[in-house]
Formats: sequence, structure tokens, C-alpha cells
Amino acid sequence: MENLLQLLLTTVQIGSVYVLFALGLTIIFGVLKIVNFAHSQFFTLSALLVAVVIPWLMEEGYSLFNAYLFGLVIGIAGAAMLGVLTYQVGFRWFQRDMVGSFILSAGLVLLFEGIYLEVFGGAVRSVPPLVEGTISVLGAGLSAQRLLICIIAVMLTGGLAWVLAKTRFGNALRAVSIDHEAAMLQGIPYKSIAFHGFIFATLIGAIAGALIAPVSSVSPTFGDSFLVKGFIAVVIGGLGSVPGAIIGSLLIAAIEAFGGFYFDPSSASLAIFVLVMLMLLVRPNGVLGRG
Amino acid sequence: MDYLRTASGKFICSPAEPFPPVDGEDSTPWNIGFSLVDDLPGRGLNEITKTRGLIMSAINKIYFAVALSVCSSASMYGHAADVIKLGLSVPLSGAGANWGIGANWLCQQAASDIAAKGGVNVAGRNYNFECVAYDNKYNAADGAKVAQTLLTKDKVKFISGSLGTAPVRALQSLSERRGVLMFTTAWGASIKGPKFPMTFTQMNTPNEIVYPLVGFVKERHPAIKTVALLNPNDATGQETEAIARKAWEAAGVKVVASDWYERGTSEFQPVAAKMAALKPDAVDLCSSTPADSGQVFKELKSLGWDGVKVIEVGTGAGGLLATGGEAAENTYMGAAVTLESVNSTPLQHRLEEGVKSLTGESINAVQIGFYDSVMALAAAMERAQSVEPGDIAKTLPEVTFESFYGTSAFGGKSTYGSPQQVLVPVVVTQLQQGKLIEVSRIQPEELIKRVQ
Repeated sequence: MENLLQLLLTTVQIGSVYVLFALGLTIIFGVLKIVNFAHSQFFTLSALLVAVVIPWLMEEGYSLFNAYLFGLVIGIAGAAMLGVLTYQVGFRWFQRDMVGSFILSAGLVLLFEGIYLEVFGGAVRSVPPLVEGTISVLGAGLSAQRLLICIIAVMLTGGLAWVLAKTRFGNALRAVSIDHEAAMLQGIPYKSIAFHGFIFATLIGAIAGALIAPVSSVSPTFGDSFLVKGFIAVVIGGLGSVPGAIIGSLLIAAIEAFGGFYFDPSSASLAIFVLVMLMLLVRPNGVLGRG
Repeated sequence: MDYLRTASGKFICSPAEPFPPVDGEDSTPWNIGFSLVDDLPGRGLNEITKTRGLIMSAINKIYFAVALSVCSSASMYGHAADVIKLGLSVPLSGAGANWGIGANWLCQQAASDIAAKGGVNVAGRNYNFECVAYDNKYNAADGAKVAQTLLTKDKVKFISGSLGTAPVRALQSLSERRGVLMFTTAWGASIKGPKFPMTFTQMNTPNEIVYPLVGFVKERHPAIKTVALLNPNDATGQETEAIARKAWEAAGVKVVASDWYERGTSEFQPVAAKMAALKPDAVDLCSSTPADSGQVFKELKSLGWDGVKVIEVGTGAGGLLATGGEAAENTYMGAAVTLESVNSTPLQHRLEEGVKSLTGESINAVQIGFYDSVMALAAAMERAQSVEPGDIAKTLPEVTFESFYGTSAFGGKSTYGSPQQVLVPVVVTQLQQGKLIEVSRIQPEELIKRVQ
């Protein structure tokens, strides 16, 4: 029972970050109909900036909380600016072009990784935990930092769901993702929504990167494994589907947690790939994807 | 006048300096021995003029002969050294970039240090080294491209370092066939032996590290009865796991679990939960990277586990501390290097500072091999008095050379079937209060005998 609870907690923790990452991917796909592999680079940049800024501010005499606050703002703002640049220079010209955007985003991954390596160096960076200690939940151990990340991620996911369901911007995003021509006929400014949707997704990725930094190995290649998992999550859940991205992310997290415990992490990774292959064979559009 | 140039195209002796002009003659030396007198039109020139011309011509011939002899002497004793290219197949981008960047720099440093001593003297000629590094991205496909570039385009005869088992295998398939001598950090025992006479391992591998390290840890913590192992699921991990399992069992410790993870894994909590549930006395992360290991120890600590922590081939404290923090305290490692010791040398400090300024991380055993291999190569060339890879390969096991660690050699015939393994000490380190401390230095028996 204790182990089961531990694994459920682990699933929620891992899954909440995957959800944030996958939501960014799925929003970009929904609005622009492109697969953006460079999404992992916004996530990475945010984490790297957080890992650089927080220790530096603490050395300058800022309190841990203030350093965190500034670090998060700088990390997210930096990633958002890169997102704006990437969109205006690149993706703006490849909207609804799967092949072109695929090649562009793959190239951008290599370019950004090279730049990060040059600027930040290849060394793994540490981010001090905001909260220390371990919390016991019905006998299951959990670090306070992870619990905090988990709470913030769940709140963000909830907020995101609300934005998409209840706001004009969210409605416009959903409308464009369903049928962009019909949305334009209804007076929705597609170009503006596409741009804002891209930046919105970038911000979500940046927040995810900044959040996970204190419990991960932050390096220029930090986003690679999250990209693979996030992409698999949206394929399983259905490209362009927000609930699908959430379901896919939690499913992958559950396989990782339970598979890693009862077998080993390598078997869990294998199981995830087997699952995605089966999904593509049986239900190519994913659990909640549209044809 | 190409015969007056070095291989690099620089003039040894410039012909730009004219000889003293002679009346009625071109002032350049190339017309020496050619008297304009003979070409002067008409007859009846007086004998004095004729004789003067002949004398001057003779003087010019002497000048030229002297100049030629001076130039040829210079080319024999004081010309610019010839350059031998040393190929490197290393990751210069991606996750392993820091190792590759540091390794390349250390190769260059070794080449500079040898040049500063006058180069390598072989049969009266001086040779210097030039390091040529390409990015193998730590994978077989790029490793194959690098192999082709180095051996076909650059025509290198010596690979002074190669990193990553997959790219090294791609490189070895060509290097052995073409008689190119290759040094490698790849750990696989199957990569060397009598079938691969041109391959030499430039750092300690699990075969050299694991038994001394496990023995040391068990001696220090006799209460250890159980251990859980975790390895990356690749050739390196599988080989290390097999050795580590035998070593722990030989030390009387039961292996209660042995798990695998894929490189690039970002979440270690599930496997940490599994290990913590087994309550082992020790956790050995074998060939896991320091950064991954730090994450595992951090998760284990949050789950309440606090036993003996070992990373058999842990290469440094930087990544371990960055991800593990206090949870990594007291971890033992077998492939890390610390310069906290009072016995560390100026050379070690210089190389450490160079690597640190370049990569932001301390020097590690993987990178050090790239310095040592160049030193070994130089020693073997001077002993063999040859620059042919085949001769060097035969001579390498016979020489001792000054490595980063001190006097070193090549051996390991009893383990691998042929002496292709560098003999350097196993440095056992431990993280104490956030600092890497050397707790034991175990010299290979074979090296002790060789040096004596």
C-alpha cells in the first residue's frame, strides 16, 4: 500500500511536468499545424537562465525567495523572447507546412543546442531547492521541493484549462485549431491568434523548464528527453487535443513510475515506445485526436 | 628553389639575399659561374678585363658553394620540425561535449609540452604533433564519418584519442585494417586483444578499477552485506555490471538488485523507490554519469535511505554535487581525480586549471588519457626511432613514460591477451563536505614491477 501510494505520487509529480510540456506542443500543433521540436529549446533556455541567475543573485545578497522570483521571471522572459524571434524569423513562414516546419525545427534544435553549449558551457548546473526537507504522506516519502513543483504544475494546468475553456483567447485558439478558415470567416484574426498561440505555448514550456530545474540536471541538452516524452504524450493523447495531452502525459508518467519500480527504468522506456507504436497502428489519431 | 624549403613551405635559407654585385654581372646568385665576359660582343678585349672576370666568377662560385653548404647544414641540424597529425574522435557537441572539448585541449597541451622540449627526435629529425579533432557526437553514424575523414581525407597515422564505445568501434574497423595506431578511452574488453594489435586503451577501465575499489570500500565498511546496482543500458553499463557483480560477490556481499536505465533518463524517482524498498547496505551506480548519480542519491535521500554510496567509474564531483547536493556526501568514486592532495604537481594544476576554464568542470580521468597518450607516443617513437605506426605499436609495451600521474607504462597481457592497457594508479576518492578527497591510491602491481 505504501509503495502504491509512493508510485501514485511519483506519477502525479512526473506527469504534471510532462503535462505542461506536452500542452505547449499540442497548442502549437493545434493552431499552426506544425510539429515544433524546437519547443524543447525554450524549455531548456528557461531552465539554464534560472540555473545561472538564482546562484548569481544569491551571491549578490538576494534572499532565496527573491532570487527565485527574479530567476523565474528572467528565465521565462528570455525563453519568450527567443520564441518571438523564432516565430517571426522562422515558423511564421511555415504555418500549416508539416515538412517545412519539421526540417526547420530540427535545424533549430541543433542551432540552439550549439549556442547554449557555447554560451553556458556543457557542465551540469545546480539550482538550490526553494524548500528543503522531506514530507511523509501516509508513509510515502516526497521531497518538499517536488511537492511544491507538483502543486504549481497542477495549478498551472488547471489555469490553462480554464483559459482555453472560458476566455475569448482560449475560444479563439480552440476555434482556429478545429478549422482555421471557418474561424477566420467568423472574424477571428488568424495571424494574430497563431502568433499569440505560439508565444503562449512557449511560455508554458518556459514555465515547465523553470519549475523542473531544481530537481533535474540542467545542461544544454536538458530538454531532449522531455521532448521525446512530451511528443509521445501528444501522439498518444491526440495531436492538437488538450485533454489528450494531459491523458497522454499522465499515462507515460504512470508507465515510468510503475515500470521503473516493478521492472527497471530501461524496461519502462521500452514499454512507452511499444505503447506509441501500438497506438499508431490501432488508433493513429490518438485517444482524443481528430482525424 | 623548392629544395630550399621545408615541408611546410617556409624557406630555410632565403635566396632573397643577393651576393655582392660583380661588375658586369647580375647580382643574384643564380647566375654564378656564368660570366658576361664570354658573351660580350666583339673581340680584342684586353686580358686584364678577361682575367678579372674569371677571378670574379670564381669568387662567386665559392660564395655559392659556401651558401649551399650553410643551407644544407641548417636543414640537417636546425630546420623547423616536421609535423605529425594526431587524430581525435570525440564528442564536441551534445551531452558529452565537455569531455571532448577538454580532451582536445589536453592533446594540444601535450603537443605543446613536447614541442617546448624540442619535439620528438627520430633518426636525426625532429617531429612535433598537431591535434586534429572531429565531433563524433557520441554515436556510431557520426563516428563512422569522423573515421573516414581522419583516415581517408587527413590521412592520419595516429589516433591519439577516441571517446565513446559506439564511435570507437566504427573507427577501429578502419584503423586496424589500415595499420593506424589508435588510443581509446572505450572500456570494452572486446575492443582490444591480439586481434586488434593497433589499439591501446588510454585510461583505467572497470577491469582495472572495480576490484580494488570494491575491496577498499568493503574493508572500510565491513558491515556491508547487501548491495543494489544500477547501470546505463549500453555496452559500457553491461560490461561494468558484470565486473561489479563479481567483485561484490567476491567480497562476500549479496547483490539484491541490478537495474538498468536509458542514458538521457530525466526521472530516477521510480528506480530510487525500488532500491530504497530493498534497503541495501550499499548502492553502487557503477558506470552511471556523475549527474545521473546525483539525481539517484537525491531521490534515495528523500526516501529515507542512507547507506554506502559508490560510483565505480565516477569521473568527477561537479555533476554529482550539482544534481545531488548534500545527498551525494560520502560517495566513493574510482575514476575521479582530485588535486587537493599535497603531492599534486605543477603540471597537474596547470592542466586542471586549463580544463576548468574551458569547460567549467574539473579535469577527469577520461580527459587525462588524451594527454598521456601523446606522451606515450613520443616515448615510443624515440625508443623505436621510427614514425611508422607498426613499429610504435610493437614498442609501446616496452617503454615507460611520464604521464599526468607520474611514471606509467602499457601492460595488461594477463587480462587481455596482449599488453594494450595503460598502467596508471586507481585513485579512490570520496566526497567529504562537498570536496573530493583522495582516500587511497592503488598502484597496479604490474606497473610497480616495471618501474622497479
